[in-house]
Amino acid sequence: MPFLNRLPLTAEFRAGARAGFRAFLPQSIGLIPWGMVTGVAMVGSGLTPIEAMGMNVLVFSGTAQLGTLPLIAAGAPLWLIIATALALNLRFLIFSAGIAGNFQQLRMPARWGVGYLLVDGVFAICLEPMRRNPDPQWRLGHYLAPSLWAWAVWQLCALTGILFAGAIPGSWSLEFMATIALLALLLPMAGTRPMLVAALTGGAVAVALHGLPLRLGLLVAMVAGILSGFAAERQHSPVAGS
Amino acid sequence: MTGPGFDDSWTIWLSLFAIALVTTLPRASFIVLGSRVPLPPRIQRALRYAPAAALAAVVAPDLLVANDVVSLLNPRLGAGLVVLAVASRWRNPFLPFIAGMGSLWALQYLA
Repeated sequence: MPFLNRLPLTAEFRAGARAGFRAFLPQSIGLIPWGMVTGVAMVGSGLTPIEAMGMNVLVFSGTAQLGTLPLIAAGAPLWLIIATALALNLRFLIFSAGIAGNFQQLRMPARWGVGYLLVDGVFAICLEPMRRNPDPQWRLGHYLAPSLWAWAVWQLCALTGILFAGAIPGSWSLEFMATIALLALLLPMAGTRPMLVAALTGGAVAVALHGLPLRLGLLVAMVAGILSGFAAERQHSPVAGS
Repeated sequence: MTGPGFDDSWTIWLSLFAIALVTTLPRASFIVLGSRVPLPPRIQRALRYAPAAALAAVVAPDLLVANDVVSLLNPRLGAGLVVLAVASRWRNPFLPFIAGMGSLWALQYLA
């Protein structure tokens, strides 16, 4: 990250970096199987090692990578791949809005870098400590250290998975690793009733409409899932909070 | 899910750049624009349902559709159910992959 060189690494920045890194370190262990599985799944779905590593660096999101692999492999049209990736990533709008106030002192290129690095786990550990600390340097350190660590772990583990998968025969059905990963991602999301309804509806509609050309059923399924989540929420509690 | 569509490297790179774009734009959105305008709660809730609906819509046909026919007796569905059972019971992040691949291979062997 070249913008790091232009930042004066003050004592506050380093203190924030240490605190952020320590808070994120235990969680980052969980990135290891995910990174490796994503690497294996990318090669298992037919990407060359270079394409797989390119995807890993460009996209840098397990959910978006694993969620779009089956579509790329099936030769789905580009607009559908884009629509699916967008649905998978809209949650980042919420994270970005929540954390944006901390980076207003940065110049544009640095803000793009900060945005590119935004991941769920780091957002979760950063939000409260950064709200409490008034020093912008401390907050920047607290965000960047775990973010860069997450990036490095993700790239290294995916590379390991990519190299490992290349040595395995195709008959081992390694593309199923992506399906397993998606199921494991989905399970904790479906913890509340409206989320469960959204997931079940999305899945059922996608299966029912699987015969539609261009995988159009997927788009209908996503919209139906979101709408049914809304409906379930209203039925469950009219004054639905967050 | 192997094979077709992957013969054209140019198409793949175009897809990868497009995915990267629609991943980075939401991430960078408010950070770059610098807006502190909060998202309306109604929009926030819709955004929360989107990933669950999309993930389920992507994964369900993988489990339930075999050779273009809905099939309740196929190794992938069995292995998927094992994954859900294991992942809801234990926290270990490696376990779903071990149990899932193991049961897929076992069921493929039996089928």
